[in-house]
Amino acid sequence: MDWNLVTPELIVAGTGLAVLVLDLFLSEERRRSAAYLSLAGLLAALVASVRLLAAGLPDGSGAAAAGPGAGLWGGMLVADPFALLVKLLFLGIGLAVIMLSVDFVESRRIAAGEYNALVLFSVLGMMIMAGSRDLIVIYLGLETTAIASYVLAGLLRGDARSGEAALKYFLTGALASAVILFGMSLVFGGTGSTSLTALLAPGFLGLSGAAPVSGPLALAGLVLLVAGFGFKIAAVPFHFWAPDAYEGAPTPVTAFFSVGPKAAAFAVVLRVFAPVLLLGQAGGPPAVLPVLFAGLAVVTMTVGNLVALTQKNIKRMLAYSSIAHAGYMMVGLAVATPQGTAAVIYYLLAYAVTNLGVFAVVIWLNNRGTGDEISDYTGLAGRAPLAAAAMLVCLLSLIGIPPMVGFFGKFYLFMAAVEAGMAWLAVVMVVNSAVSVGYYYGIVRNMYLQDEPAGEAVRATPMVGTALGLTVAAVLALGFLSEPLSHLARLAGGGL
Amino acid sequence: MIDLHHAIVLGVLLFAVGLYGALRTTNAVRILMCIELMLNAVNLNFVSFARLAAVSGTAQAAVPGQVFAIFVMTVAAAEVAVGLAIILQIVRQRGVVHIDRINLLKG
Repeated sequence: MDWNLVTPELIVAGTGLAVLVLDLFLSEERRRSAAYLSLAGLLAALVASVRLLAAGLPDGSGAAAAGPGAGLWGGMLVADPFALLVKLLFLGIGLAVIMLSVDFVESRRIAAGEYNALVLFSVLGMMIMAGSRDLIVIYLGLETTAIASYVLAGLLRGDARSGEAALKYFLTGALASAVILFGMSLVFGGTGSTSLTALLAPGFLGLSGAAPVSGPLALAGLVLLVAGFGFKIAAVPFHFWAPDAYEGAPTPVTAFFSVGPKAAAFAVVLRVFAPVLLLGQAGGPPAVLPVLFAGLAVVTMTVGNLVALTQKNIKRMLAYSSIAHAGYMMVGLAVATPQGTAAVIYYLLAYAVTNLGVFAVVIWLNNRGTGDEISDYTGLAGRAPLAAAAMLVCLLSLIGIPPMVGFFGKFYLFMAAVEAGMAWLAVVMVVNSAVSVGYYYGIVRNMYLQDEPAGEAVRATPMVGTALGLTVAAVLALGFLSEPLSHLARLAGGGL
Repeated sequence: MIDLHHAIVLGVLLFAVGLYGALRTTNAVRILMCIELMLNAVNLNFVSFARLAAVSGTAQAAVPGQVFAIFVMTVAAAEVAVGLAIILQIVRQRGVVHIDRINLLKG
């Protein structure tokens, strides 16, 4: 057993516990140290993951160390390129969220130790989800993330809306977990094993020959898993909780929800379904799954975009926008090709980076007393030119304008759909992107084209400024680096 | 004669009852109870399928299912602790547990 493979997880878990203990000994004025310690831990874990990834890539020397067969506890937890790439994303999300929340936590009098420890534990659960290849481990990672997230949503104890967000998030989350578990029990009943590899036995899901009863049983379980994870990634018609939870939760936590647990749920969906979908292509297809994903993709992006058009509150609008983006990503699953899988991985990175940038601006303004209504952004270009410019870059990326990273994300999904002979799905995607311009442009118009009596200049604090600078730089840089990045995504998707 | 298939049918029925209750009732504590019912249905499924695997294969084949059931119970306890804390906070703030009256957020 090679403990080396889980060093990133061990570092994050250790840091989380250390933050909890440290919190007991810190005086009121020095509570920031909890955030600094968390940032240090996440950075260390990031370095460890990069080293594992570099060692596991084919041109490195330790190719076997991260090969598909290698793992801990009999292959329950693996550290293949997919897991490591997604873990890098999760650690980056954790870093950005903690940087964005330092001032917020201080000004709202949230207990800093608890807050940072909960973010770390949530990230830990996401990392476990990324590396799991066994139903039990998936469930444990899922709940580690979810339970920490429920508490995070309700951390503003004086604010009734925060409590309401937590309650709604908890009730739907717990219901989704129960549905996922029931699906898992059926998959276990069908395959007789909790390992995901058992689903890939030849002809097993083909509903013919060797498995007259257990094949359909496992397939029914998989369909329930789609529904359960549909809740977690806020796919329509399982999305109703998301706008409420996003609006009521503390803003940095909303930023975290919109990228973190969602990306982790997508990682598990890819881990479970990508091999099964590819199997379907090779013959004896469980045809219901691609159809299911295609239907969910169309409904999710259409409803998300249309409802976003009518929103007045920016957090609510971003919630619907994030629902729409989940719909785009499901296109990559519906096409059931290796290109589609790689495109989803690329889009996950692109979306997470861009959305964090948008939220960085929202948090910057929020800390300075600007409200969450879209009308509060009127004349922002005059008051805070940098914030407005950063917002513009990120919104262009969300729309999918080159050379931002969001364009390449949509481009790869589009190409995957066309190559798989599902051009209609690509057309639906493009039409939806055009619709999304409507609400993203509303913010741009408010910021740049509407005159407002010039208010006081709004300056960023160092932490928020740094986080925003890094995310905007990533939005631009990853766009220019799309070739190597998509190569990495193909490599990661190929190892699933 | 009661055999394993009855246990599995019972599991499915229990799950359906729990799901129906969770979607129909508006009392947050009751919803939580219904979700617990669903989780117990899952546990019943896991141990039944584990037994089924042991009957048709080796005794070893039952282990993952039984282990899974224990994990579900443990994690569910932690989840309920957090859930009840959240409900308690809401009741202290507003004095209601009915989710149709907890509606500050909408749009």
